[in-house]
Amino acid sequence: MRSIAFERRTNTPKWLRIAVPMFGIAIALVLGAMLLAWTGHATTGTYRQILHRGFTDPGTFATTLVAATPLLFTGLTAAIAYRMGVFNIGGEGQLFIGAMFASFVGLGLGSAPTVVVVASMILAGAVGGSLWASIAAVLRDRFRCNEIITTLMLNYLAGILIQYLIFSSHSYWRELTGTGALFPQGRMLSERAQWPNPHIGGTPVPFGFIVGISFAVLIFVLLRSTRFGYRVRVIADAPAAAKYAGINARRTTFAVLALSGAMAGIGGASDVGDFRHTLDPKGLQQAGYGYTGIVVAALGRLNPIAVVFVAILMGGLNTAGLALQGPDFPAGLVGTLQGLLLFCTLGGEGLARYRIVIRRRAGSASRSAAPRSSSPRSAASPTEAPGLATGEVGG
Amino acid sequence: MKRTAHIGAVTIAAALGLAACGSSTTKPAAGGSTTTQKPSGSSDNGSATCGKPSGSGAYKVAFVYVGTVNDGGWTTAHDKGRQFAQTNLGDKVKTTYKATVKEGPEAAAAIESLIADGNRMIFATSFGFQDSMETEAKKHPEVCFEQATGFKTSANFAEYFGAAEDTDYLTGMAAGAASKNGKLGFVAPFPIPEVIREINSFALGAQTTHPGATVQVAWTKSWFDPTKERQAAEGLVAAGVDALGQGQDSPATGEVAKAKKLPWAGYDTDQSANFPDNWLTATVYNWGPYYQSRIAAAMAGTWKSGSYYGGPKDDFVGLAPFGKLVDQKTKDAIASKLAGFKDGSFYHLTGPLKDQSGAEKVAAGKALELKDILSMDWFVEGVKGSPKG
Amino acid sequence: MNPESIDVLTAGTNLVPAVEMFGITKRFGDVVANDGVNFHACVGEVHALLGENGAGKSTLTNMLTGIYQPDAGEIRLYEKPLRLTSPRAAIAAGVGMVHQHFKLVPTFTVAENVVLGLSAEHRGVKFRRAAIERRVAELSERYQLAVDPAKKIWQLSVGERQRVELLKVLIREARILVLDEPTAVLTPQEADSLFVTLRSMADDGRTVIFISHKLYEVTAVSDRVTVLRDGRNIATVDTADCDQRSLAALMVGRDVQFDRRVGTHVRGDSEPVLIAANVDADGDDDRGALHAISLSLRAGEILGIAGVAGNGQRELGEVLGGIRRIRSGNIDVCGKQQTCGDPVAFAKSRVAYVPEDRLGTGLAPSLSIADNVALRSFRAAPFARPPFIRRRWLRSHTQELMSRYDVKAPGPETPIRKLSGGNIQKVLLAREFESDPLVLVVASPTRGLDVGAIENVRSLLVTAAERGTGIVLISEDLDEVRAMCDRIAVMYEGRIVGIVDGESADVNTLGLMMAGAT
Repeated sequence: MRSIAFERRTNTPKWLRIAVPMFGIAIALVLGAMLLAWTGHATTGTYRQILHRGFTDPGTFATTLVAATPLLFTGLTAAIAYRMGVFNIGGEGQLFIGAMFASFVGLGLGSAPTVVVVASMILAGAVGGSLWASIAAVLRDRFRCNEIITTLMLNYLAGILIQYLIFSSHSYWRELTGTGALFPQGRMLSERAQWPNPHIGGTPVPFGFIVGISFAVLIFVLLRSTRFGYRVRVIADAPAAAKYAGINARRTTFAVLALSGAMAGIGGASDVGDFRHTLDPKGLQQAGYGYTGIVVAALGRLNPIAVVFVAILMGGLNTAGLALQGPDFPAGLVGTLQGLLLFCTLGGEGLARYRIVIRRRAGSASRSAAPRSSSPRSAASPTEAPGLATGEVGG
Repeated sequence: MKRTAHIGAVTIAAALGLAACGSSTTKPAAGGSTTTQKPSGSSDNGSATCGKPSGSGAYKVAFVYVGTVNDGGWTTAHDKGRQFAQTNLGDKVKTTYKATVKEGPEAAAAIESLIADGNRMIFATSFGFQDSMETEAKKHPEVCFEQATGFKTSANFAEYFGAAEDTDYLTGMAAGAASKNGKLGFVAPFPIPEVIREINSFALGAQTTHPGATVQVAWTKSWFDPTKERQAAEGLVAAGVDALGQGQDSPATGEVAKAKKLPWAGYDTDQSANFPDNWLTATVYNWGPYYQSRIAAAMAGTWKSGSYYGGPKDDFVGLAPFGKLVDQKTKDAIASKLAGFKDGSFYHLTGPLKDQSGAEKVAAGKALELKDILSMDWFVEGVKGSPKG
Repeated sequence: MNPESIDVLTAGTNLVPAVEMFGITKRFGDVVANDGVNFHACVGEVHALLGENGAGKSTLTNMLTGIYQPDAGEIRLYEKPLRLTSPRAAIAAGVGMVHQHFKLVPTFTVAENVVLGLSAEHRGVKFRRAAIERRVAELSERYQLAVDPAKKIWQLSVGERQRVELLKVLIREARILVLDEPTAVLTPQEADSLFVTLRSMADDGRTVIFISHKLYEVTAVSDRVTVLRDGRNIATVDTADCDQRSLAALMVGRDVQFDRRVGTHVRGDSEPVLIAANVDADGDDDRGALHAISLSLRAGEILGIAGVAGNGQRELGEVLGGIRRIRSGNIDVCGKQQTCGDPVAFAKSRVAYVPEDRLGTGLAPSLSIADNVALRSFRAAPFARPPFIRRRWLRSHTQELMSRYDVKAPGPETPIRKLSGGNIQKVLLAREFESDPLVLVVASPTRGLDVGAIENVRSLLVTAAERGTGIVLISEDLDEVRAMCDRIAVMYEGRIVGIVDGESADVNTLGLMMAGAT
């Protein structure tokens, strides 16, 4: 008889950090293949199609970037906050408010030069998003409200607010003339306020994506090399140590939430400037960018640079998923394949911290001489082996 | 040549109720079905420049849906229409769809992907797809675009919808007859002309079978949100209504009505089997024949842009089977009005019509023009609630 | 010493074996925690399991209590081979464990905690409520475990809570009791009464296995001692045949300079570097934790703060270290009044602070050694060139500190939590010493360290004192305080109940003061 047990790893080797996600993807592909075969679809053909229709076919990468742009921003939103253990799940609402602010400015500055409008919209989006996040920050700071709850509620509130602006009021954002009289809709930005679409290597790249990459790099440097980033790391790891070091956790938490919200807000600005050219409450609420961003951040291990690549990957999967589905390939199956991939890679993350032990369960056999290890224990080895019940979360 | 093509288009249009007139709007034909052609600067010569078959394979046509094909409502109805067209047109045509497509950039991506797959014609079935459809139509003049429930058109971008207000008048008749106290409730999505005219029609219908009937409106600000719909319906019942109508895509209102044992008129889906005890009837759309004829036209090179507004006359809108709560007398009354809609002898949005204050809005004998119907923003007498939401 | 040369059973040949563990091996990844360990304990004895941290004591007992399963080897209880696959199985086999950290529900009563998790057979007819209370009372009396069964846990002192833990295992009819460092939280008097209890349990035919790394306890209470080192059993000896020095040598593997009497470091006429006057402060629960604390510290002096855990020493350390606000009173450092609760200002006044909670307060566990070295001075040069941290400089500075303070770790980027306890404390002390402090506040600096590391830390403190740093040494280890300090202040319920001379202080007097009897 054998028994299988999970034991916590005392040390996660470097190679595992690479191998595990790879292994996770492999498992997902195998499980996915089984699912495909079971539902009567070609396996390798489907995978080839995902690759082609998500990334390599002419023109598809442009579509992938379009899908990736908002996820890049919301991914950064989550990554920054979670780095410090602040669970901002309000990327959704912060993006809405960013879109609201940016479209306000974009509509107002419609006749200004494009450079001015675009810069103002980015700024306005950032301000909107961070203001919205700051509400949660104040509630957390003053009333110790859990930010998971407050940011979530603020998502709904932001949704209702932009919905109100377009559907239930004669607001500045709403188109009242022409076709706007037939159905409530937002005013369209003027041509000049629409963000440019520079071609890089023949692929049109949304301007917002370039902005997003710049911020990803900036945040990477900020977290890694500055005093601010240092404060964030200390607070995240040990609040008591932060207090001991005289770090003002309140101020840093505020700054982090504001920065986090600003990213989502710029994502909203990009949604208006790059894609919709109007404030579209229904479309924004359907999209759920804020929530997908959390997954992007998790898959990117909260690393801003990794978030860029994960956002592209997710965008590609989305594009490929759209291409794949149809009467013979239900949307649910596409979603299941995507879910498998996420589940296996994220699940692998957890497993990387444990090892699987298979041992024989036989009364008599265990009597045999124990194999001896001659390796002396290094001075840096952990002290008494940790009990299974003590579960600190490793890096 | 030009002329011939135009005549050809007219022929097709006639079959569909597509009157290819050059004027910006036409008065609705008495049957309620009409077409408008926006002065979009589009080629007015009637020849289709889009949707020409490419290659020798089956002609590819695609649908973009906002919901899942088995949502039991809006998208299911469209997909039945697609299957109808596919079955009748056979192997020459290959239809496909993308379901649960999100409005915005994702819709554009879905359309791009469909065009890359060789589809020559794209139907989009949610209002929210309109902007993406417009952009893509500009980008791909070789492809025909058709948008349900929109208002924008161009040379290769047409728009279609049904005159649900006509049949809502009939469901109102059923509800009015089923009500005991003359207080009806209506769970409504958005305060927009489309919904306002449906509510008005429902009220006018109810008032014919139950003189003095009122219709209380509850807005959900959503097309499909069972929770909000349920809350709205419960609110109405609490306010004393004893019959319910709706403009929503989910049967949540019916659930409330069932629990309270109240008669209920649904919308866009036949729910008679699920609600045997309190079902009245509902407006239902019949998309299939339209899809079939438009695809056939595109294949033949005779497709023409325009706005199609289908009514009872060409069975584009109709009534779901009656429930047992509708008595024979009411059935007969409804049948006679339906016949009137069909032969053009009756149109309900005809004066005298009074607004909520009791002031006369439409003079006696004057029928409302389509442009007024399409931009209706006022409630008729007897409707309780604000047309602003 | 060759482990195989000792016949483990010679000491108890006339006794009945209760626990026999043969060739037990347990690995955690690359680490071999137990390497072919043999351990035998007999009926009716108190058997100490002695070893430094990391020697494998807890791992070994965890296999006896069913928490881990051995990779190889055999366990016999009362000469019957058994597989203890779960804690439940171990309890059924008569093994009870009293953990270092109590596992009690604070809002439940003593009786409720005692029955919590009892298996069905125990809960049945035999243990109805009244019966339980009777049985609790009976056991309390027999083993002098005075505790009121109706009281809630949160109302009890630490010593009483430990008694509840003992009652829990007794009511489960444990015949083999394992206690993991049970005296860590007790006053000397409480420890003594625990020893009496353990003795009487052994006399009743139970087997008591007592894990410790404190030599005086081991010599005081046990019949036999098994010494573990580096995961192997080094020796099993009769306690009567050895003294603390020889046990320490077995434990560490070399002779230890043990009884270090520090003597005075105070320059007779030196000015006070730290004066606290009438300090009142609140604890974390906003209730008064410190009352009218007044003390002064001279350059080069080591002032001990003794007391039972929870009598305000932690809060006092935090106040003197600059991280806790005060309600009233004054703290002067070199004549300059301090803003309490502002650790940055305290650091500027050259007050260094080594908190009791090393991993979590003093250091951020997941951050690297280098990051932790920067913790108190990351704001300005040479650590930062605002807004950037000088990462490269920090790295080499850390490397240099590590070699100077003999920190054993793969490199400056190694996360602190991967270091051994001794090395962790070295990093913390290195950082604080590097700030060239006038005042050094250290709380329990040697708690949990092994003998070698303790020697090291103490000599670092002495060196600092000799350089003229005034040191406040907060410790619950009376031996340490007596050995190290020039003066000893004893705290009870947030007050300093007396200050005695380090040289003349004896354990009994201190113990009485710690218990509030002045």
